[in-house]
Amino acid sequence: MRKLRVVHYINNFFAGIGGEEKADIPPEVREGVVGPGLALNKALGNEAEIVATVICGDSYFGQKTDSAKETMLEMIKSHKPDIFVAGPAFNAGRYGFACGEMAMYVEKELEIPVVSAMYRENPGVDMYKRDLHIIETEISAADMRNAVPRMANLVLKLAKGEEVGSPAEEGYHERGIRVNYFHEKRGSERGVDLLVKKMNGQECVTEYPMPVFDRVDPNPAVKDISKVKVAIVTSGGIVPQGNPDRIESSSATKYGIYDINGMDRLSADDFMTIHGGYDRAFVTEDPNLVVPLDVMREMESEGVIGELANYFVTTTGTGTSVGNAKGFGEDFAQKLVADGVGAVILTST
Amino acid sequence: MRLELGKINITDVQPGEVTKVENGTLYVNQQEIIELALKDDRIKDVRVEFARPGESVRIAPVKDVIEPRVKVSGSGAMFPGMINKVKTVGSGRTHALVGANVITCGKIVGFQEGIIDMSGPTAKYTPFSETNNICIVIEPADNLETHDYEQAARLAGLKIGALVGEAGKNVEPDEVVVYETKPIAEQTAQYPNLPKVGYIHMLQSQGLLHDTFYYGVDAKQMVPTFMYPTEIMDGAITSGNCVAPCDKVTTFHHLNNPVIEDLYKRHGKDLNFIGVILTNENVFLADKERSSDMVGKFVEFLGLDGVIITEEGYGNPDTDLMMNCKKATDAGAKVVLITDEFPGRDGKSQSLADAVPEADTLVSCGNGNVIVEFPPMDKIIGTLDYVETMIGGYEGSLREDGSIEAEIQIIIASTIANGYNTLSARMY
Amino acid sequence: MKNIVLVTNNEAVQGKYGDRLHVEYLPNASYVETLEVVRDRIHAGHKLLTHPLSGSVKPNETPYKTVVLTAAPQALDFDGVKIIEESIASAQKFISGRRTPIWTEKVKADFRLVDCTIITTAIQSMDGKYIG
Repeated sequence: MRKLRVVHYINNFFAGIGGEEKADIPPEVREGVVGPGLALNKALGNEAEIVATVICGDSYFGQKTDSAKETMLEMIKSHKPDIFVAGPAFNAGRYGFACGEMAMYVEKELEIPVVSAMYRENPGVDMYKRDLHIIETEISAADMRNAVPRMANLVLKLAKGEEVGSPAEEGYHERGIRVNYFHEKRGSERGVDLLVKKMNGQECVTEYPMPVFDRVDPNPAVKDISKVKVAIVTSGGIVPQGNPDRIESSSATKYGIYDINGMDRLSADDFMTIHGGYDRAFVTEDPNLVVPLDVMREMESEGVIGELANYFVTTTGTGTSVGNAKGFGEDFAQKLVADGVGAVILTST
Repeated sequence: MRLELGKINITDVQPGEVTKVENGTLYVNQQEIIELALKDDRIKDVRVEFARPGESVRIAPVKDVIEPRVKVSGSGAMFPGMINKVKTVGSGRTHALVGANVITCGKIVGFQEGIIDMSGPTAKYTPFSETNNICIVIEPADNLETHDYEQAARLAGLKIGALVGEAGKNVEPDEVVVYETKPIAEQTAQYPNLPKVGYIHMLQSQGLLHDTFYYGVDAKQMVPTFMYPTEIMDGAITSGNCVAPCDKVTTFHHLNNPVIEDLYKRHGKDLNFIGVILTNENVFLADKERSSDMVGKFVEFLGLDGVIITEEGYGNPDTDLMMNCKKATDAGAKVVLITDEFPGRDGKSQSLADAVPEADTLVSCGNGNVIVEFPPMDKIIGTLDYVETMIGGYEGSLREDGSIEAEIQIIIASTIANGYNTLSARMY
Repeated sequence: MKNIVLVTNNEAVQGKYGDRLHVEYLPNASYVETLEVVRDRIHAGHKLLTHPLSGSVKPNETPYKTVVLTAAPQALDFDGVKIIEESIASAQKFISGRRTPIWTEKVKADFRLVDCTIITTAIQSMDGKYIG
């Protein structure tokens, strides 16, 4: 029985090349293990070994996704792998995106088992859990020694065609797939059990969790908007030319506040879009499509709205974690309130 | 109301000169049944065939399943308002031939549906692979209008169920179970320290082939009402639902409602089972508002601490289920729902057509979209037209050799949403 | 019942109600396309009166669908928006990846009948009652 051949994917940081300043390195491939591959190789034991490691900068992958995927597929193919492992990405959003995209692509093109690992808040989990097995990790790389053995264990099972157990057994994120089984008790009996527990205030676990209802109750309607100062907030990724604050094209970790004083419209000379989730051509020509400054100014001069705030708030929505988005909102809302803004137009894409 | 249910265990069914029960075998005079059915001139022809557990038999398309029962004492007769006078039932003594069923089969509409395999890998999905079945294959008069055919087949099933049930009248039952629910003030006072529980029973009520009847009244025309649990055991509720086989609540399932049985099992121990709220699942949205408001009102009026809610069907009824859940919760009760799921073939899509945050405790009766293999069977009771397609199947699903590839949706009561079966689904 | 409109791709419904009620008949629309037209009407302010997923015959099993809306547009009915979006998603879930069934003329006639009967009982339910 020959050893199964594994190709491992990691990013600039885990490859020891560098941190954020090296996030724009293009794909490269090295023989054998790099960085955490060492631990992974050990966990794979006698049955498999890492024959090559592909590496790519997280920003590079985010901005040039298609070409990065193509390039790396060739690199991976040339090593004739039986298995592909991506990550672990822990809570790094762009890395999670890259792991998920590469794993899906490799699985589709090469038809080999794939596995990744991420922390539950990594946007990659929601994006890819349905289609991939993603081992659940803690928030940081300190969890490496727990994550890696589980990744190895699961991917070997997949490679050998063994039955994969439940998320709890194998340690992967619930994929959201409903699987039938025969319980010992009939449904009505289980229902009565649950009801008695619920009435007694005891813990009772539902057999089908409802979709998450993460809703914010809207404020009451504005009574007279002609008297209100309005601000524009967007998740459409409009930033000044050159993206001075380096807001990410996806999985944003920051937002920006930019001046629009004296402008009747956003000029394509001054502003650009960095959003990685839509075709940018139209917006590059006319940023007002996403931040409708032209229309808002008209409304301001006609007295439809009381006043327009002289800045707009922006970030990139795609792949951005709910946690981060909440954080941004809580943050800049304070500034808006302090500046007397009474209502916000939120544009998304 | 107090009912003694005498259970007579049937282990075999055989043709006989006289319809009777002897040593656990039910003998059936087929001619008598045929004559009874043909009294309705909407029916042209009737065949009576037997299907026993373990036989290589496939029954299709199934319309209704009726457990033979008879009133021994107490007011009224079986299936009041349908084949007998409307007198209130649910008290006295009733005998049931447990392990025997009358199954009506007939091609009411072109899209045939509803399979029972008496053996093989799919038998475990339906309870009727384990009962001794008297299959009534009905052929309608020529050019009979669909509504008339549905009604004729439905009434034939109930009449035959009652006729066969008579065989149990004077037989000593193997087991007698006593069910009792007192009038509300007395019932509340009987177990003052136990939480008061009600069962909200949603009845299918969308129209042709999607109907349920309470003392003969079409559930579509009801406003929510209150029922003693034992009434259902005497056939106060009958099924006119013969679409979507997997979650069809047959008349058998009404007679043997598992929620009622399981609530009675704990009645007086850790809960006080007050009674049953009946409601419907109409298509007109304002009817849903009206019915669910009234269900909420009942919960409050009766001071219920907890309720279990079951539904019949998918899609439209899910909205009623959620409305009832929300309003019962708002009225102060703890709510548990029992329902089946349709998360798509890959199991990844939304299982229910509607959802509310209050639906936080739910029992799953399984995923109806799973594809299974039905091997060929030696004998087909009914008809398995090779020319036309089957619900739950598609082009190529029915093969030349008689084998079938289809979703478990097509098996009678496989995912029935009242918790009768042990099939469930979990998250992977 | 002048204050309702039926959106349907079912010729039996058109045949039965075409003369006496407003019927928007979409002869070539698929099940989902019919639901999408219903969605357009809801967006334009027509209130949803019947549940789009009526009937236990699943969306991939029957080609026919009839839905009833109020005839005159009013303020946007948010509940209706939620219901129609969920219904379209549900229908697509059933239809996607499945082969279309063999619909012989007899089978189609039966599906038309079931859809028509269900909507008839719904319309009867509305008669005389407050619609708005």
